[in-house]
Amino acid sequence: MFSESMFSVDAGYLEGLARGFKGGILKKTDYYNLTQCETLEDLKLHLQSTDYGHFLANEAGPLTVSVIEERLKEKLIIEFNHLRTQATGYLAEFMDYITYSYMIDNVVLLLSGILHDRPIKEMLAKCHPMGTFEQMEAIHIATTTRELYDAVLVDTPLAPYFADCINEEDLNEMNIEIIRNTLYKAYLEDFSAFCQQIGGTTAEVMQEVLAFEADRRAFMITINSFGTELLKEDRKKLYPACGRLYPGGLEMLAQAEEVEQVKLVADYFAEYRVMFEDDGTGMDKTLEDKFFEHEVRLNVRAFMQQFHYGVFYSLVKLKEQEIRNIVWIAECVSQRHRAKIEAYIPILE
Amino acid sequence: MGDLFRSQEMTLCQLFLQAEAAYACVSELGELGLVQFRDLKPDTNAFQRKFVNEIRRCDEMERKLRYLEKEIRKDGIPILDTGDNPEAPNPREMVDLEATLEKLENELREVNAYAESLKKNFLELTELKHILRKTQTFFEEALHDQHMTEEAVGLMTEEGMMAGGQAAGLRLQSVAGVILRERLPAFERMLWRVCRGNVFLKQAEIDTALEDPATGDKVLKSVFIIFFQGEQLKTRVKKICEGFRATLYPCPDSQAERREMAISVMTRIEDLNTVLNTTVDHRMRVLMAAAKNLRLWFIKVGKIKAIYHTLNMFNVEATNKCLIAEAWCAVDDLDKIHLALRRGTERAGSSIPPILNRMSTREMPPTYFRVNKLTSGFQSIIDAYGVASYREANPSPFAIVTFPFLFAVMYGDFGHGTLMFLAALWMVLREKQLAPTAKLSEIWATFFNGRYIILMMGAFSIYTGLIYNDCFSRSVNIFGSGWSVRGQFNQSLTPDQIRTQVRGIESLQLNPNDAQAKAWRANPYPFGLDPVWQVSGNKITFTNSIKMKTSVVLGVIHMLFGVFVSLTNHLHRRDMLSVVGEFVPQVLFLLGMFGYLVILILYKWAVYSGRNSNCAPNLLIGLINMFLFRYDKATNGCPPIYTGYQGLQTFLVLLIIPCAPWMLLVKPLILRRRQQMLARGGAMMGQQHPQPQMQPDAGVDGGDQTELGMGQQQDGGNNIHDGDKAVDMGAGYGDHGEEVDIGEVFVHQAIHTIEYCLSCISNTASYLRLWALSLAHAQLSEVLWGMVLAIGLKREGFGGCLALFVAFSFWALLTVVVLLLMEGLSAFLHALRLHWVEFMNKFYKGEGYKFEPFSFARAELEM
Repeated sequence: MFSESMFSVDAGYLEGLARGFKGGILKKTDYYNLTQCETLEDLKLHLQSTDYGHFLANEAGPLTVSVIEERLKEKLIIEFNHLRTQATGYLAEFMDYITYSYMIDNVVLLLSGILHDRPIKEMLAKCHPMGTFEQMEAIHIATTTRELYDAVLVDTPLAPYFADCINEEDLNEMNIEIIRNTLYKAYLEDFSAFCQQIGGTTAEVMQEVLAFEADRRAFMITINSFGTELLKEDRKKLYPACGRLYPGGLEMLAQAEEVEQVKLVADYFAEYRVMFEDDGTGMDKTLEDKFFEHEVRLNVRAFMQQFHYGVFYSLVKLKEQEIRNIVWIAECVSQRHRAKIEAYIPILE
Repeated sequence: MGDLFRSQEMTLCQLFLQAEAAYACVSELGELGLVQFRDLKPDTNAFQRKFVNEIRRCDEMERKLRYLEKEIRKDGIPILDTGDNPEAPNPREMVDLEATLEKLENELREVNAYAESLKKNFLELTELKHILRKTQTFFEEALHDQHMTEEAVGLMTEEGMMAGGQAAGLRLQSVAGVILRERLPAFERMLWRVCRGNVFLKQAEIDTALEDPATGDKVLKSVFIIFFQGEQLKTRVKKICEGFRATLYPCPDSQAERREMAISVMTRIEDLNTVLNTTVDHRMRVLMAAAKNLRLWFIKVGKIKAIYHTLNMFNVEATNKCLIAEAWCAVDDLDKIHLALRRGTERAGSSIPPILNRMSTREMPPTYFRVNKLTSGFQSIIDAYGVASYREANPSPFAIVTFPFLFAVMYGDFGHGTLMFLAALWMVLREKQLAPTAKLSEIWATFFNGRYIILMMGAFSIYTGLIYNDCFSRSVNIFGSGWSVRGQFNQSLTPDQIRTQVRGIESLQLNPNDAQAKAWRANPYPFGLDPVWQVSGNKITFTNSIKMKTSVVLGVIHMLFGVFVSLTNHLHRRDMLSVVGEFVPQVLFLLGMFGYLVILILYKWAVYSGRNSNCAPNLLIGLINMFLFRYDKATNGCPPIYTGYQGLQTFLVLLIIPCAPWMLLVKPLILRRRQQMLARGGAMMGQQHPQPQMQPDAGVDGGDQTELGMGQQQDGGNNIHDGDKAVDMGAGYGDHGEEVDIGEVFVHQAIHTIEYCLSCISNTASYLRLWALSLAHAQLSEVLWGMVLAIGLKREGFGGCLALFVAFSFWALLTVVVLLLMEGLSAFLHALRLHWVEFMNKFYKGEGYKFEPFSFARAELEM
């Protein structure tokens, strides 16, 4: 069904482009230079010598971190859209799948904004541009999940994922988190199934990346649920069932009541054990950072293979990590908080 | 020629510039464009350098200029290009420039903000106008359309709201607004879903595109009006409208009010229009003024930025009073550089002159050729293979002749050559006018930049075409053929009668040996190919033999020439070892084998004629037999090719065979011996044998110093010291060179030897492409003639006219596309290959790097 030999007919050019964009990802030395910066102007000057080029050249007035972040995202979007508009067939669908996760984030962000009575304009500005959709701005007419589904989400690709969380309850904080995780679960499982359907190297590479994503969510859901009123049965329903923890690990996680027990579960899986271990270097890296590092490793590894769609997914994820890194460094620089400036996640050597 | 044959002698200079005068000096050097600065602080970040703030200011100015340019282009105002090239302004003027740009930008932004708010206002009013106009029709329809009112009534009664007839329609509340046309379907769908079908939406498209005040783009919009009932629906509808960014406008219910409102809107629009026009005029004036200077500003800012970038590469002396730069420049240009520096100091009003010292270095200097319009094309062909090592023999002066010549051997056609020549001539004569167009298209630029090459190729093709006697595959009989058919016919016939008789004959034999027929007049065609071959059946056999042999002769001469160029390299480096160990056996090898073949070819042409052609030996078989020492006794009564040939050939083979081990062993063995002696004799030997790698005059030059004005004594002392160091370094380097692993030298030499011996044979064969492509070209053009144009020519009468018209246009098109462009490209590529591979591998290393001087002209080109 899917033959590597025919891959380049439709996607060869785009894969080349994607690899080219990957080549522009900042290297260790770039980060080293960035952390040396004294001001945001220095940062801009250095970024000019990288692939980002003159992306900040037309900004009038003093630079702020939010402007930098906006431009970085804009550049990612331009690159992504450039690839997306030329993609056909499976690849087009695959790239749409990439945007769904951002849509979920946006929906949840907007919902919590509504809950706190924030003006919709302000919330829209915070939305990730990758996950915009037409009906997004009208989301504030919804007060219950059923309305949300009927009015807004039914026309979006998220509609099938939403089927599980329709009820007549009013929206509240807990509800929104559950919606997010239910949507994510359904999304990850669907995406994973879609990659299996494509088959070939794509399935192989994506399986690994998505499995990790699923497991990370399961761990995070468990840890974050301690001390909340979420019932164990409800919690279990939120675990995405496409990771390596499935099914035994998830079963055990569902029973966990404290962090130590989560650790015990992780002990069964070599790659997760190290995340929970204290590496003894005295560097207090958070669990999240360790997960990010592992994700970066997996995504870089995706580029080792050829003729598969995983590079597009990995490119977006790596670029996103890069944006987080630059923003982090920029924050540190602008707030003169140099102690933590090294806490970015290096991507390429 | 001398300039092009070896690259310019370069020297590394150290410049001490007064901190105040540095800017002006670098500015002068930038105008001059003869100095390549070295980055003395390669490890420093861009933002940690000295003049980073100045560069930032330049960036800021450039941003403003780009903003201005964008605005100017938006309004379609032409940007004045006077073609002058202003000098880089002083740092003091930079402040003024900054202030001017700042003022302009602010003014423009103010005007824009004002215009934008006006336009927004204007847009709102126009939208309102459209709403009023369209809703008017909605309401009218509602009034007149019986069906619709009934439906409304039905709706009313169902809902339990009591009302009668038309009044019921008015009881409904309505919201009117404008929405982007592409968002309408989703909008409608959501309205339906959220309100469960309890609203009624009516929409109409606005025919004219409206201007978005923020971006200035034209957008298409639609007017809509929504009817609904009850407060709850109203809030929902409003929320959806907000969500879809529809702008809502108040729309009175009664007709009279609407009319009144429409009138007031119209008057307000008109008022607004006048204000808007004055604003636009003001904006125009500001932009027009800016457009006049924009280009000059761009150049000025670009130059300032380039200067500061260069200054950033300099070292700052400890006392901060002086900047130290290192730069490569040609020895011949030193005077010009001195002058420029002096001008710079004067401009800056500094009393202390800059100091320029020559330094010695072990680093390989950049390769710098002074090229002109003609030679630059050929030089770039060579550079595409690899930039010449410093002071290495450069093939490009020879390529100016050999390249078009080898091309023409393959492309030889008088007609095609003329077309090519004329096309190139047109480009050359109009190069001033055409130069700006070259930037527009890459393909055109390729042709345009190669115009001199094409010109030469065309000229040489005309020459070879004349020799081949080919003009669009036809021959021209200028001098009268050396062959005649007259002798075969009755002497009393008139030429016309013979002509008619000849036409009737299928084929006619012309035997040069037949004394009676006198077919051969014994006076050869004075120049080129006898046109009689054009009509002969064995034309191909004849031309093949000639072209093949010519190819070999040309090829061997070309390669031999290449080997001799390598001799000049050895001599230039005073490397006698390479002359004896490489050049001599190489020449013997090539001459003994293929040089002998060439002599045989020429000899055969000279000695054998039609009379003794059956005794002519086969040279290829002869060459093979020569290496097998096989000499057949059976000669069929023919004399040998020349007396004593066996002895000479045996001698040649015995000469060639030892050449290979000679090439392989002599040089490395001597090197090893030298190394051993060095190890025994200590450093003494090293000084007696200056090594080839070392610059023979480095020590002398290091001490040579040129400077202006004061500080002579002290600096002179320094420089002498530098010179001593240079000698030490040179000797050190020589010693170091000796210590190279001998095994490595052997392997290298073995590869080199095998490559040379094999390539002599394969390269000679490779030159046969000259024959093959020439044959292909001739055949293609003949096919084109025979299959296309000849058909048109054969017809008679009016139909023939028409057929000729069609056939000619077709033929002309194919001639240009296939023969001129495609064939030309293919012959070009083969000529390129013959140079890169067959010719240049005999002597060319190409391991240098290009001299890239700091020059404003260059920076501007890149902009």
